[in-house]
Amino acid sequence: MNLQVVYCNHQSANLSIRERLAFAGDQLEAAYRELAGRFRSAEFVVLSTCNRVEVYSAQESPDAAPTRKQIAEFVSDFHRVPLEEFSDELLAETGPDAVRHLFRVASSLDSMVLGEPQIVNQVKEAYRIAQEHNACGPLTHAMFQGAIRVSARVRSDTRLAEGRVSIASVAVSDFGRGIFDRFDDKRVLILGAGEMAEETLRYLCEEGVRQVTVVNRSLENAEKLAAQFASVGARPRSWDALDEELARADMIVSTTGASEPVVDVNRFREARRRSGEKPVFILDLGAPRDFAPAIADLDDNVFLYDIDALEETCDQNRKARHREIEKAQLIVDEEAERFMQDVYHMATGPIVKRLREQWHDVSRDELERLRSKLAHLSPADLETVERSMERIVNKLLHPPLEALRHEAKSGTPHGLIDALKRLFHLRD
Amino acid sequence: MPIEFFAKVSVFCFLASYVVALVLDAARLLKRWPVARWIGLVFGLAGFAAQTGYLLIRGRQENLPPLLSSPHDWLLVLAWIVVLLYLFLTTVDRELAVGLFLLPVVLLFVGASYLVSKQPNPLIAGNRGLVMLHASLLAVGITGVVVGVMLSVMYVVQHRRLKRHHASQPGVLLPSLSRLARWNWWAVVVSVPVLTLGLGSGVALGLTSQEAGAVLSFTDPVVIGHGVVWMAMMSLFVWLLTTRRSTGRQVAALTLWAGGFLLAILIGLQVLSLTTFHSGAKTSAVPRPLGSGLHQFTFGPLPDGRGTALRGTTAGGPT
Repeated sequence: MNLQVVYCNHQSANLSIRERLAFAGDQLEAAYRELAGRFRSAEFVVLSTCNRVEVYSAQESPDAAPTRKQIAEFVSDFHRVPLEEFSDELLAETGPDAVRHLFRVASSLDSMVLGEPQIVNQVKEAYRIAQEHNACGPLTHAMFQGAIRVSARVRSDTRLAEGRVSIASVAVSDFGRGIFDRFDDKRVLILGAGEMAEETLRYLCEEGVRQVTVVNRSLENAEKLAAQFASVGARPRSWDALDEELARADMIVSTTGASEPVVDVNRFREARRRSGEKPVFILDLGAPRDFAPAIADLDDNVFLYDIDALEETCDQNRKARHREIEKAQLIVDEEAERFMQDVYHMATGPIVKRLREQWHDVSRDELERLRSKLAHLSPADLETVERSMERIVNKLLHPPLEALRHEAKSGTPHGLIDALKRLFHLRD
Repeated sequence: MPIEFFAKVSVFCFLASYVVALVLDAARLLKRWPVARWIGLVFGLAGFAAQTGYLLIRGRQENLPPLLSSPHDWLLVLAWIVVLLYLFLTTVDRELAVGLFLLPVVLLFVGASYLVSKQPNPLIAGNRGLVMLHASLLAVGITGVVVGVMLSVMYVVQHRRLKRHHASQPGVLLPSLSRLARWNWWAVVVSVPVLTLGLGSGVALGLTSQEAGAVLSFTDPVVIGHGVVWMAMMSLFVWLLTTRRSTGRQVAALTLWAGGFLLAILIGLQVLSLTTFHSGAKTSAVPRPLGSGLHQFTFGPLPDGRGTALRGTTAGGPT
């Protein structure tokens, strides 16, 4: 049995690498097709968010499991990025560490902003898409269902999900409030209409924002999002109005899933020419980035923040909540250990079943023989004898099964399984 | 508490208190230590109480309000006002790191007070009302400039943090750029007219003194120095009122330059006057009229020809 995750995240690789390795929604089908072609019997789930690109794999037989190098080559070939450009940033965990990693990710312990609720939805979505492409199997099912359960337990048993728990809240409270006194008189432009845009907009409304424009390539999606925030006057606009809105906005939050920057330097320079040098706060939550990084240098009053720019602020947020992290980490460790025991125990299941069946078959044969020899026994006597024999079999089975269970706590007990097979002539 | 309690208080006592308060405020940059803020505040309050007592004792000794007494007392009054501002802001907002920006100015004023004359001004007897107006306007105007400079430094620090994506330090927060820019604008727009009135009253004082036999020399380096400073501040003032597309950073940078220049000239000329004009004043029984450096333009050359301080004044010498 082999569980593995090969990944890069906000701690190991900067945004310029992550955005090149990210799997956009429309690339996932091709990615799963390619993975299935390369590793026929393995299970896969690809998790790609603004903070991480992770490929989970599972394989019953360790011999046929994809290696870290093979997964890295797949990522390199798929994105046409030379391996040497990101090889050092690509990490890997196997076995219990891979499970622990997934549980940490789903519980948002590995997120830039601790306790952020989006990540568990992203994990669920990645799992759903993998299922759609028939990439999951029993091990990945167990892992991801376990991860979702652990995430719920962390949220209910700790206070990790309280306070500032979104990237937008951390960015606005630390940087937005450093630029502006108030938000109720500011024009806010939201680029994109996905879950992140919705989450950000919800937070901004709590902060008092009253003038919101949603611009999205799909006007229909922009209208849907704006309708949810009609109470604060949110209005949708088509993509054609982007330049006009860029010039009007005081705050811009960009969350599109575009594979290239949607606002380059020249486009934004033109917007600044029209708007004057009023302060503008740009929060670019896209990966790949939606705003060209050089826009930050256009003038003194352009304040551009991408995901990586929030790292220091998020670290402070993390330090302030270290006690909750410790509690959550204990839950993750406990659940990961339990999960692995279940997995190992699952591996002993077939041998236990066969041993039990074989011994019960022997006892049934002996009982039939006894029944034909001792015809004078009443049905009640026969039932008593049958019960006795069952008890004898169970008592004889108990020591080897207990030994198996004990050994399975620290890994698949291959030695013991082989011994049982040989001792009792059990066949696969 | 009887005022005699402060009789043994020296400038060093409150200077040391302010140094400790500043060090404790600076320590909050390195580590979040809430108690440091309170200890710093206690030291600030202790220094303020000592300084108040010291100024009262000085006023009693000279039989003059400190504002009208010597350059030494006048600088201490300026420092006292800035400390009052520091204590008020620190009490009102526990997160605001105001001490880091105001206490260095306090230390500058208190330190400079060591280097200037403690001799009271003999002209006060004849022009007490005008001198009081002159000194008060200058004190208010210079306090406004100090506040403007402080806000400008805060703006630059905050702007730099935001541009470089540094997280804010818990317990050492700064106001937003838009608020700093707005306050800065008001600090300059209010303080420059007050300074101008202060200078105008100084000219009037000079002319009045001239009528009483003193000679006003406009070629006095002190006059020229303060004229240049005033022109710099006035240029900033006019620019602020006429420019529509100025950015907060431009306002902060110009305020920093103009205000910093003013403070440097103010302190510099006060200190230099000790070894040039003012030393003459002490020995020739022709003392300077006020503690303010800005009023010194009202004086002509000394009788012994060593400088261009007040000439022809026969009012009483140092007490």
